[in-house]
Amino acid sequence: MSNEAILQTGVGGAHTAGVHEEHHEHHHHETFITKYIFSQDHKMIAKQFLITGMVWAVIGGAMSLLFRWQLGYPNEPLPMWVQDILGKWWVKDGHITPEAYYALVTTHGTVLIFFVLTAGLSGTFANLLIPLQVGARDMASPLMNMLSYWFFFTASIVMLSSMFVETGPFSGGWTAYPPLSALGDASPGSKTGMDLWLIAMALFVVSQLLAGLNYISTVLNMRTKGMSMTRLPLTIWGLFFTAILGVLSFPVLFSGFILLIFDRNFGTSFYLSDIFISGVGPLPHEGGSPILYQHLFWFLGHPEVYIIILPAMGIVSEIMSINARKPIFGYMAMVGSLFAIAVLSFLVWAHHMFVSGLNPFLGSIFVLLTLLIAVPSAIKVFNWLTTLWRGNIRFTPAMLFAIGFVSIFISGGLTGIFLGNSALDIHLHDTYFVIAHFHLVMGVAAMFGMFAGVYHWYPKMYGRYMNNTLAYIHFWLTMIGAYLIFWPMHYQGFAGMPRRYYDYTPWVSFDHFEGLNRFMSTVAIIVFSVQILFLFNFFYSIWKGRKVRTQNPWGANTLEWTTPIKPGHGNWTGEIPEVHRWPYDYGKDNREFIPQTTPVGADENIH
Amino acid sequence: MSVQRADSNRLHPHKFTLWVAIGSIIMMFAALTSAYIVRHAQQNWLEFEMPKVFWYSTVVIIISSITIHLSLKAFRARERLRYRMLLGITALLGVLFAILQGFGFYDLYSRGIQIIGDGSNPSASFLGIITGLHVVHVLGGVVALLIFFIRAYSTRIKTYDSTPQEILSVYWHFVDILWIYLFIFFHLAG
Amino acid sequence: MSLFFTIAVVVLIFLIIFQIAKAAEYVAVLKGEQKSNRQQNKINAFLMISFLVLGLIGVYWSNELFYSKTVMPIGAASDHGEKYDQMFTWTIIITGIVFFVTQILLFWFAYRYQHNDNRKVYFFPHNNTLELIWTVVPAIALTVLVVIGLRNWFAMTSAAPKNAMEVEVVGKQFGWLYRYPGRDHKFGQTFYRVIDDGANNPLGQIWRDSAALNLHADPANFDDVMPTTLYLVKNRPVKMIINSRDVVHDVGLIHFRMKMDAVPGIPTTIWFTPTLTTKEMQEKTGNPNFQYEITCDQMCGNGHYSMRGVIVVVTQAEFDAWLSQQKPNYYAAFPEKDPANKVQVATPPTNPNTGDTSRLRGTSGNPVGNSPNLK
Repeated sequence: MSNEAILQTGVGGAHTAGVHEEHHEHHHHETFITKYIFSQDHKMIAKQFLITGMVWAVIGGAMSLLFRWQLGYPNEPLPMWVQDILGKWWVKDGHITPEAYYALVTTHGTVLIFFVLTAGLSGTFANLLIPLQVGARDMASPLMNMLSYWFFFTASIVMLSSMFVETGPFSGGWTAYPPLSALGDASPGSKTGMDLWLIAMALFVVSQLLAGLNYISTVLNMRTKGMSMTRLPLTIWGLFFTAILGVLSFPVLFSGFILLIFDRNFGTSFYLSDIFISGVGPLPHEGGSPILYQHLFWFLGHPEVYIIILPAMGIVSEIMSINARKPIFGYMAMVGSLFAIAVLSFLVWAHHMFVSGLNPFLGSIFVLLTLLIAVPSAIKVFNWLTTLWRGNIRFTPAMLFAIGFVSIFISGGLTGIFLGNSALDIHLHDTYFVIAHFHLVMGVAAMFGMFAGVYHWYPKMYGRYMNNTLAYIHFWLTMIGAYLIFWPMHYQGFAGMPRRYYDYTPWVSFDHFEGLNRFMSTVAIIVFSVQILFLFNFFYSIWKGRKVRTQNPWGANTLEWTTPIKPGHGNWTGEIPEVHRWPYDYGKDNREFIPQTTPVGADENIH
Repeated sequence: MSVQRADSNRLHPHKFTLWVAIGSIIMMFAALTSAYIVRHAQQNWLEFEMPKVFWYSTVVIIISSITIHLSLKAFRARERLRYRMLLGITALLGVLFAILQGFGFYDLYSRGIQIIGDGSNPSASFLGIITGLHVVHVLGGVVALLIFFIRAYSTRIKTYDSTPQEILSVYWHFVDILWIYLFIFFHLAG
Repeated sequence: MSLFFTIAVVVLIFLIIFQIAKAAEYVAVLKGEQKSNRQQNKINAFLMISFLVLGLIGVYWSNELFYSKTVMPIGAASDHGEKYDQMFTWTIIITGIVFFVTQILLFWFAYRYQHNDNRKVYFFPHNNTLELIWTVVPAIALTVLVVIGLRNWFAMTSAAPKNAMEVEVVGKQFGWLYRYPGRDHKFGQTFYRVIDDGANNPLGQIWRDSAALNLHADPANFDDVMPTTLYLVKNRPVKMIINSRDVVHDVGLIHFRMKMDAVPGIPTTIWFTPTLTTKEMQEKTGNPNFQYEITCDQMCGNGHYSMRGVIVVVTQAEFDAWLSQQKPNYYAAFPEKDPANKVQVATPPTNPNTGDTSRLRGTSGNPVGNSPNLK
């Protein structure tokens, strides 16, 4: 894994040494392939991540509709054309088979968490914004950056191909707990499907490491003159901590996977012990511990949650300040809370394992640390609220999604207090309450951050605007829909309804939620089609959107708006501008905004 | 707000990237060795003696660290021939290290200690996987060494910037220290 | 046909929306961007406040609709559960207050401070007092919750009382196995390699010697009872020893507010005291079909959803009567040992390979597996 890293640094050395000198007015002679496919321009790589992420979001979202259909309409066959598309393995007698149901649930989780909200979100915005906002011509190593995308792309292909193997894709849940994930005899999805899943995830880890290394060294080493760390926009802080989390936690997941691969293919016993599979007999493995995997997995798994949400927090802070025409409240507290969240995220992983037979004393320490995370989160929420207070708010589509983000983040975050408190977690663990919690706080909230970012930086990406009316419809329907789906879901959790059930009808305790299930599934279908509207808006506007005519359409302070409307590779045509102030001087001294490049005036109050 | 830093004081971005990558590799081995400790505390743990040949491989990798350091010095002194020779020796020592590790595994095998397969004990499996991953990292370094070695023959490239060589040598020292850590770890914990 | 119709309708709706959106953009250009922006801003600000009002109504309404469907209004059926419900209420109150305050502020600010050409924004980059307040206040609130939480957590995970009844619950794909220790109050030892479903030994109880596996028959096994339904006694603490035969499962007991993973190779335990019999619950809920159910809460394979177990809570007298009718599993496996079977069955010759055959293949109905090899 990291051998590639060193190799690339070796090879890339000669290349980038040149970048600094040759980039002034000069443009490479670019062919179609070097410009659009094997591009080393961070802006193009950002678009590649974004569009691949969108493709996966559509696939993953469509999968959720299929299993929501099973839950919402257990007695009605799927529409014929859906059956035709899916084919025999997936559908029997008009219904999704249990194997297919679990495969869908698993792939939906894996794809949305890793491919959409990790690669699609931080891959897009870290690539686009880090060089533009810190004032660099490109990443520290553009070659590694390109490789990171292509590793991700290969991972995507492998994951996609696992949908078509004979024994079916992996179906043991996105957490892939052994023994289920280790034993093909325990679940057909754990045969070839799991091999492909593991290969895809290993490639993905490599991609994230290559990307993360680059983000970190770009932020720390390639800032323009005057851009001290405390003058960085909060987007960069969010992405920077995200990269650190990724670089430190993905290798641990990788170790966990290596041991799993050996257990699966080479007869070792790291995770397996005392197992008897019905119809197969006792297995030779002895002395392993499935709990060991859970520790290794969640040591990544929990930081992963923050890998998803921190970039969204940064994006929201930036957009909120710009559109409230008011500085972000408590910049240092915002950075500090990001830092606190990043550090604490490494110390709370076992709160996913409160009911795994964990030592109760150990559990109590994790309760303490987990609820500690609520403090920086609370600081962030109150700071956002104060940023709005006495501002002058422009409701651009990006701003709407930023406000929506805060609302959803509050709703989803508060339920974390239930789950982080081990005693309360007992009843709610692995029920729909958990589903509602993480879909709001990490799924929908991060998606909102992503939408906000796309609407806001679209003019920078394509030199055009997206259609506002469509954006407003998109926002309001998505916002309403998100609450309609996930708010009532909490009640199913209160009822103790376990997640990942194919069918609830045999259960006395849960069979009275049919109506609610149907309602949620219907809303999910509507919300999904609203997202198609967004995609249409996105792709239509690339070619037909209203053209951007000013360099700085939002009246923002940060450096990306000092580049040409459509910046080439190298970003600035002349010298990289120098920075003289922090990025949040909005409404200061009766001036609407003061870009970072404006020198501090003699009579100006120093913030 | 804080004072801006001068550009010249900054670490080269690629060097910095390497340091972050080293942090990442450390996390991977930290995860594996802590898993080793956790598992060691439980029952059914096979105790066995480390292969003697690991002592030789330790000596080999330490020598290779010295040779790469000398090669860097030679490069800086623009002694092209010496640089090339030391680079080659380092690569050979790296390969020798990998071969010696292989002998170590063979030694375990001949004593009936299985690393993989039915009847393997996690203690041997851990040893095999951790040292195996380390060898992979060493071989990755060897590939980089070879690339540098071949480049050193090319007459077209005339560069006196020693950054790539420094990066390579930092990495090589790192895998060396990593091995020493693992070697001591297995002696203490095993 | 209906497919084309649906697609046509959807496409049409999309087209209409798109045309409106496009037209709106042209109108905006004609009217002047400033003016149309102002208008859009007003609309969105109004929608913000409407969303708040309708949302709050929605919160109330959904509570009316769904709260009665949860297990909360019935109340818990165990002592731990009662503590759980109290703590749950407190947490709802505290988080509820935060929820309403922050959401109302958020949408109210959005509405109140919508763009206005005459407003001057208040340059307010930071304020240490305010930031201190909202660091300390949440910290205090969380401390309260942590203290309540940990007190309950330690109570719920404490060692079971001495007089607790012990039962073993074992998960397998896809169902639950229960075992009572029988008259000697001791569970016999088990070993997973001697599991044999066909020979009535689903837990791998060691009831014969095996030289190959180095096992000795454990007489404590002979009176262990394995019923298909789990019976518990009202007001008597019960300690569950939870295990798994294959993959990770999870014993979920929603009415007792208890949950614990079943991990192969690593037994776990929970304990609680049921406070209501099944009959009492049926009256309380007004549902004559009410059952205490065991759910599996950990993804365990394609039959995960069907891992339903049933618990019946009865009085001590009913329990004793029930237990006395249960036959030890040993007699099911070796009918000839059952004192109730007067007919003496000749013991077949012992087969030294017995242990090995079951180790290699857990074949059902292994003919040689019926021969006991007792000391």
